[in-house]
Amino acid sequence: MEHEREIMDVAIEAGHILLENGAEIFRVEETVYRISRHYGIDSGSIFTLSNGLFVTADSVGKEPFAKILHVPVGSAHLDRVAAVNQLSREIEEGKFTVSQARAELERIRNMPGKTYRMQVIGAAMGSAGFAYIYGGSPVDSLAAFIAGAILYIYILFVSRPHLSKMVASITGGAVATIASMILYGLGLGEHLDFIVIGSVVSLIPGVAFTNAIRDITDENYLAGVVRMLDALLVFFCIAMGVGLVYTVIQRLMGGVVL
Amino acid sequence: MNLFAQVMAALLGTIGFSIMFSVPREYYPLCGFVGGAGWLIYCLVLPHADAPEATLAAAILVVFLSRLFAVWRRCPVTIFLIPGIIPLVPGGDIYWMAYYIVRDQMELSADKGFEAVKIAVAIVLGIVFVFQVPQKLFRAVIGAAARK
Repeated sequence: MEHEREIMDVAIEAGHILLENGAEIFRVEETVYRISRHYGIDSGSIFTLSNGLFVTADSVGKEPFAKILHVPVGSAHLDRVAAVNQLSREIEEGKFTVSQARAELERIRNMPGKTYRMQVIGAAMGSAGFAYIYGGSPVDSLAAFIAGAILYIYILFVSRPHLSKMVASITGGAVATIASMILYGLGLGEHLDFIVIGSVVSLIPGVAFTNAIRDITDENYLAGVVRMLDALLVFFCIAMGVGLVYTVIQRLMGGVVL
Repeated sequence: MNLFAQVMAALLGTIGFSIMFSVPREYYPLCGFVGGAGWLIYCLVLPHADAPEATLAAAILVVFLSRLFAVWRRCPVTIFLIPGIIPLVPGGDIYWMAYYIVRDQMELSADKGFEAVKIAVAIVLGIVFVFQVPQKLFRAVIGAAARK
């Protein structure tokens, strides 16, 4: 029988990876609970916030265990969520010892993300697609493809490493708007509005918004409300960034461009 | 033809988001399918209803398909749901809200802002209700499909 502490470390690490990479609170708690129960922890509690884990274990005849973990929320890596989910299922089927599970979690934590080039292409594809479905023409879509790529390069190299979330969203909205205006000024695209709408979509807080709804539905109100606030704030900041550029242009040019 | 182009754009856009969220590569086609199917329903319902109603219909399908594929491929529902729901997010309305604020047309701005809230509520309702459907039903559907 492995030491209780080792078991709890593995269970908590699984929860940590899930929470950090965009899983719902329900999945985090369920996974920690299942892994610890499979390895013989028969009593304990877990409480999860959007950025923290509180775990205790208190099995009969063993040392009580408690841990609080601060989990800063990173960008979503749904491949890691899927991998931990798979691991937890296989642990329950008895395919992993505690130390094997720990090694597997280590591997999942270090799974390489998508390359920068792939991410930029993804963002550009998203921008092009959404510029079109929100009402743009194919040419608008092409302009949004380029502006979306420019925005994502800005996100990767400037805002993600250096800026807070609010400033990143405001400046991101502004960068996308300026890029769209330049392209439009150069004659690429027919409707500036749809180019701008398309180009900013990679800033949309889709993970926070969807998870917030799921968490609130599961009655994890505290985590859900925090995530919803996060999503609304980001939406608001993007709109502010776009509006800011429009205001400046209007003051400078008397509204000719709009 | 235009409808086909709309659905393809939504499909490709959804795959773009799957890449950004690091969805495992083998799920790109299914994610795209979920996003495209949702947008197809939105486009089909929109001529007969207003935008929040069309969004609700589309959200119900998106969540249903996400749960179905999650059971089928034995992976978290999040993988399909998050990229698939994005075409329905009222990004356009939020943009117009900000645009009219800048142009000092507060009434139009409030209209667009309220429309965005209604659409967001429609998405919430879709997610809330379809997640109440018991998991057993999805297993049964997958089981029936596998027997064929």
